Amino acid sequence: MELAYAMDKTAAGTGSKEGSYDAAAGRMTLLDAEPGQTYIIREINTDDDEMNSFLFRLGCYQGEPITLISKKKQSCIVVIKDGRYNLDKMLSEAIII
Amino acid sequence: MRIAFAGNPNSGKTTMYNALTGRNEKIGNWGGVTVGSKEFQLKKEFAGDKEVIAVDLPGAYSMSPFTPEEGITSEYVRTANPDAIVNIVDATNLSRSLFFTTQLLELGIPVVVALNKTDINEKEGTKIDVNKLSAKLNCPVFETVSTENKGLAEMIAKAISLAGTTQKAPYLQADIDLHDKNAVDAEDRKRYSFVNGIVSEVETRKTLSAETTSADKLDGVLTNPIAGILIFAVVMWGVFWISQTWLGPLVADWLVGWIETFQGWVAGQLENSPAILSALLADGIVGGVGAVVGFLPLVMVMYFLIALLEDCGYMARVSAVMDPIFKRVGLSGKSVIPVVIGTGCGIPAIMACRTIRDERERRATSMLTTFIPCGAKIPVIALFAGAFFNGAGWVSTLSYFLGLVLIFLGALLIKGITGYKYRKSFFIMELPKWKKPSLKFAFKSMMERAKAYIIKAATIILICNTVVQIMQTFDWHFQVVEEGAENTSILASIASPFAILLIPLGFGVWQLAAAAITGFIAKENVVGTLAVVYALTSFIDTEELAMTGGANTVAATMGLTSVTALAYLFFNLYTPPCFAAIGAMNSEMKSRGWLWGAIGLQLGTGYTIAFLINQFGTLFTEGHFAAGFVPGLIAEACMVAALILIARKVRAHFDEQYALHKSANAAKATA
Repeated sequence: MELAYAMDKTAAGTGSKEGSYDAAAGRMTLLDAEPGQTYIIREINTDDDEMNSFLFRLGCYQGEPITLISKKKQSCIVVIKDGRYNLDKMLSEAIII
Repeated sequence: MRIAFAGNPNSGKTTMYNALTGRNEKIGNWGGVTVGSKEFQLKKEFAGDKEVIAVDLPGAYSMSPFTPEEGITSEYVRTANPDAIVNIVDATNLSRSLFFTTQLLELGIPVVVALNKTDINEKEGTKIDVNKLSAKLNCPVFETVSTENKGLAEMIAKAISLAGTTQKAPYLQADIDLHDKNAVDAEDRKRYSFVNGIVSEVETRKTLSAETTSADKLDGVLTNPIAGILIFAVVMWGVFWISQTWLGPLVADWLVGWIETFQGWVAGQLENSPAILSALLADGIVGGVGAVVGFLPLVMVMYFLIALLEDCGYMARVSAVMDPIFKRVGLSGKSVIPVVIGTGCGIPAIMACRTIRDERERRATSMLTTFIPCGAKIPVIALFAGAFFNGAGWVSTLSYFLGLVLIFLGALLIKGITGYKYRKSFFIMELPKWKKPSLKFAFKSMMERAKAYIIKAATIILICNTVVQIMQTFDWHFQVVEEGAENTSILASIASPFAILLIPLGFGVWQLAAAAITGFIAKENVVGTLAVVYALTSFIDTEELAMTGGANTVAATMGLTSVTALAYLFFNLYTPPCFAAIGAMNSEMKSRGWLWGAIGLQLGTGYTIAFLINQFGTLFTEGHFAAGFVPGLIAEACMVAALILIARKVRAHFDEQYALHKSANAAKATA
């Protein structure tokens, strides 16, 4: 169901928001997410293997849920498993939901 | 017998270690407080008649390290063969912690799981079926609260009894080719689904962790780029104000009274002894050390407040809110933590840089963090604020603020010299749950630091003061220096050449040069040495000084104007820290080039700041430049030239590397 929500957002939000929305690939990153909503991670793409596996060990990997708590210009706060994390913009953009 | 303590960051390993060994290692409510391994004997009440060594390790999320301090942990449990492992599991985040647990269980070393922070779970209504978890993991599990010593005795007794036995691992990684990234990923996924399976069976939650709570609203404000930074500024200002303007000096005044009484008593006892002995003991030792100890209350109040900040969970929020700013100058949000720790002492601050993953950011942070005045510099600041600025609070505020500005400027400079290479610098910081700071822990931490301060005063500073006193009493022929001929003393003749270099800065006299030099051994020495060379002690008691004559005695004796006093103060604050901190820098940077770069940068910064303040301050107050303007300008020009040369060299090297890389790529493309 959450996945379906994410797909809806992708379809609806075309070009309306600035951010990292990638119309061609039909992808949505954490930056396009709504606070308070839970999403399923579709892909982690940091171009940095070590970073990817670090995120993995926190429980942040494809198929796992991630909840956006709040969002700022340069950062956001998310819940992964039972922990809260502050992510910067670059990392939020690399998490495709 | 050795028992290793391993677990996720911020699960409470060091708190437990402290409780079991009676040690007082640094703790704090954020991930990455412990950056090296520590070991100590267990208390008798826990170990019985056996000799058991507990080994505290830095937090790690798994056996594959991501940051340097995580590497220490996986290396230790893999190669040091501890007799048992206590795996501290944060009960509020079971699903993440068990990943590491299952890896530890594979090592063939007996593991006992300490399900820590169960008090928070009770509050939140989360239940974990301990028996079932124990059966699933095939290892003993104990509920513990290490802040209250709950469940520790049973847990550690079990760990001791298991030493040398074997446990059957509940999950074994399949034999795969560890170089095949996809196979490793698939295996890790399987491990996680195994863990998820266990968690879903043993854990029932009343409040889902994804729900937005009032703590989240607070975090929202604290990480807001404007409000959050303002709040941080106010909090730090509050810490400095309470410790250095209000409560600290209040206690210090009282203490100084006692020290003076003691000094008078010593002088009285020595009435019939030779004058030299009396001068050495009463003025040199008691006076010099007393001058330093007199400032102890300021430092203690400061340590107490910083410990409260570290304990509540605020540090992670500060790091998050400062990240965008620090990133702009080529550092990261994680650089904030060393800076805050650095207000206490530079050495743990430099070591805290280990949690920064990027090498350049890590080295740059350890190079710059000591620009923030540490506890040992507080006496120096307080002395100058008291003697020259009527105890004004703005002196200390300005010192910290300028320190922060210098960190930013220094970071920009390093970014420029190393040739900024665009590299993705990700920032992720766990925001730990808020916690009511423990007054007991803060008090303990304060007493520990106070003890260290007194020991330092009674050893290094005592010795330095004695040496300074002797060197100034005698000349090279070991004759007592006559009154009026102070310039012939050993101290004067050694310090005078350095004093010449300081003329453009406005304080080119040998006494001040000598104090600055002894400051490299320990910054408190600046105060101690000034006390000895000018035979002054009651530095902080401004009221009394005011009574002894309209103009301040200290100020008058030193012959400094308020402009040159400020220049001298800042020179001492921003030149290289003590040798111990330089040693810490050396071991964190692991590079001669960077270390010398750091020392050069700090010397240059201290010199430049003092030069600018003296010259322009004098121009402003007296209408002309101070003495030595041109030589100072030449010195500055030399520094700039050196910088340009270094930058060129570093960049050429960088281009070379880059060029090689490019040609390699080209070769690949053509092949």
